[in-house]
Amino acid sequence: MLQYSYRPNFPPTRQTPTEADQCWVDYDPIVDRPPLRWPDNARLAVMICPAILDYEFMPPGNPWLNPWARTEPPDVLGYCRQEFGNRVGFWRVLELFDKYNVRPTAVVNVDALERYPDIVAAMTERRWDILGHGLSNTRFIYDYDEATERAYYRAMLEKVEALTGVRMTGMGGSGPQAGTGNTPDLLAEAGFVYQSDWSMDDQPFPLRVRAGKLIAMPYPADMMNDVTALASFEADAYAESVKRQFDRLYQEGTHSGRLLTIAVHPALIGQPQRIRYLEQILDYITSRPGVWHATGADIAGYYLSNYYDNALARLDRLRAGGSR
Amino acid sequence: MRLRAWIVCVPVAADEIDQTGSTDHIYYRRDPITKRKALRWPNDALAAVAVVVSAEYYEMRPPPGAFIPPNVPGGFGRGPYPDFRNYSVRAYGNRVGIFRIFEALDRYGLRATVALDALTVVHCPQLLPHIARRGFEVVGHGQSVTRTISSRMSMTEEREYIRSTLATIENATGIMPSGWHGPEYGESAQTPAILAELGLRYVLDWPNDEQPVAMTTPNGSIVSVPMLVDFDDVYALFHRKITEARWQQAIQEGVEQIVMDSTQSGRLLVINLHPWLTGHSSRIGYVEAFLEFLSQHDRLWLTTTGDIANWFQTQSASEATG
Repeated sequence: MLQYSYRPNFPPTRQTPTEADQCWVDYDPIVDRPPLRWPDNARLAVMICPAILDYEFMPPGNPWLNPWARTEPPDVLGYCRQEFGNRVGFWRVLELFDKYNVRPTAVVNVDALERYPDIVAAMTERRWDILGHGLSNTRFIYDYDEATERAYYRAMLEKVEALTGVRMTGMGGSGPQAGTGNTPDLLAEAGFVYQSDWSMDDQPFPLRVRAGKLIAMPYPADMMNDVTALASFEADAYAESVKRQFDRLYQEGTHSGRLLTIAVHPALIGQPQRIRYLEQILDYITSRPGVWHATGADIAGYYLSNYYDNALARLDRLRAGGSR
Repeated sequence: MRLRAWIVCVPVAADEIDQTGSTDHIYYRRDPITKRKALRWPNDALAAVAVVVSAEYYEMRPPPGAFIPPNVPGGFGRGPYPDFRNYSVRAYGNRVGIFRIFEALDRYGLRATVALDALTVVHCPQLLPHIARRGFEVVGHGQSVTRTISSRMSMTEEREYIRSTLATIENATGIMPSGWHGPEYGESAQTPAILAELGLRYVLDWPNDEQPVAMTTPNGSIVSVPMLVDFDDVYALFHRKITEARWQQAIQEGVEQIVMDSTQSGRLLVINLHPWLTGHSSRIGYVEAFLEFLSQHDRLWLTTTGDIANWFQTQSASEATG
């Protein structure tokens, strides 16, 4: 269903000229890396991410991305389809998380926490982890200058801590991973441990930032995400896809640990015809030994303590032309 | 360009090609597959099947003016810089996905053709030994998927684009490719002539047949090895949104039909895989399944596109002299 659309011929955003195409990620084939071991020698770390989203009824215009492309706002249909998630879908999804005793990492537009205090209460009571997803899914930080973006992260961190008691360790850009050329540096500076915008791997990996440390924690994009999968298929196809991902990564995890992040949007998967497929997913992933069910903070913290420094030192040696 | 010059194949510099007055190209004859001289594959194989794996670099910052076809970015398009999302979706291919596909090919003892672009050579050099130690064929695949060939380029620009791609690959691998696959099947009206001028022997961009097609250009001949686009994983799964299981079934149905239709004259099927898509953990099982199907079929010549082009050229040459 048409919701987001980039504006035709959007203006350029500022870029810091660098020689490389991008300066944050070193190419590193997964088969060349030393093995990664999770706690208790688990083969697979699984992190499940329900999205708690904020969609404005009448958002201000954004020169780069139109959040309601189907019609001039208000798009009552599109707005309601999303808001269903916070009114109804969330409560179905919550019941299943309770039944299967999983502790999720909510992907949160921070403004939604102010609008939906009952959701905040349910999350804090269960000690859910929170992965920041900007302030709102109808506001995007494209072309923010450095000072404005710095203040934006500080405000997010403080607001979430005040409302939930959680000091967030992870952040990913709102909507389609909106960011700026300063984003990784500023996230590290603000005290975030990981960024979830880099979907390009099945393991965490170090990002290069000008000061401090930052981990890329792959989060599903493309058709591995329920939003894009359900745009073309029904939830049975999404559940089967997640099970296949689980099986393959579980098998590969005997050699070196893998990370499976499962994205679920209560607005979609919480619909009555689909909730049974979330139950299938939860039943499947909680039925095997050797799986570390963890939050974003757990996984990033473990990687930071045990792997980050060595991984970055190895990439430095590769850059210098040395052996691995 | 006048028709006469094409037929007698007078060598002229590609710069002189002028198609004024014609809306068509005249690179090959319009002979239906039913009326051609019989083609035989080696070792009594009925049909030839090849797998082309695309190793592509998707730029975070394409140069100003680079042509990116609107279907490349996926989703709802390419976003403002920095487009972490689309960059990451593509980068998965060379970091993770390609090794699942390579290992699947290893398991069934198959040699593939790797369509390698120049920016992958530059930004992902550690990939190259994984290709070389398997003995896979490498064909030139342009500068990057974010800089495709189109008629927006002048002929001089296009020649330099192709030449520098080939030089980058030769410098890094020690082998000059004999084949070409434009990123996103991108060509201008002059591409086959430029490819022939630069010494390439075959091209993968013309998905119009189930046999190799001899192309004639003012700069000499070149073979087209057609790679039917409806089997291409990106077109099937990403653009047409068919399921992985149905795609696998379609490949197997296609192979069975081609084998049946090859009793009079041998046919071919070339399957183009993109590791950013079918190298994913949820999809690789379907690639393995059709590779297993191919490996168990006893009437197929499972080979590289380069070997197919070579064989076709040799057969054509021996017919001409015999």
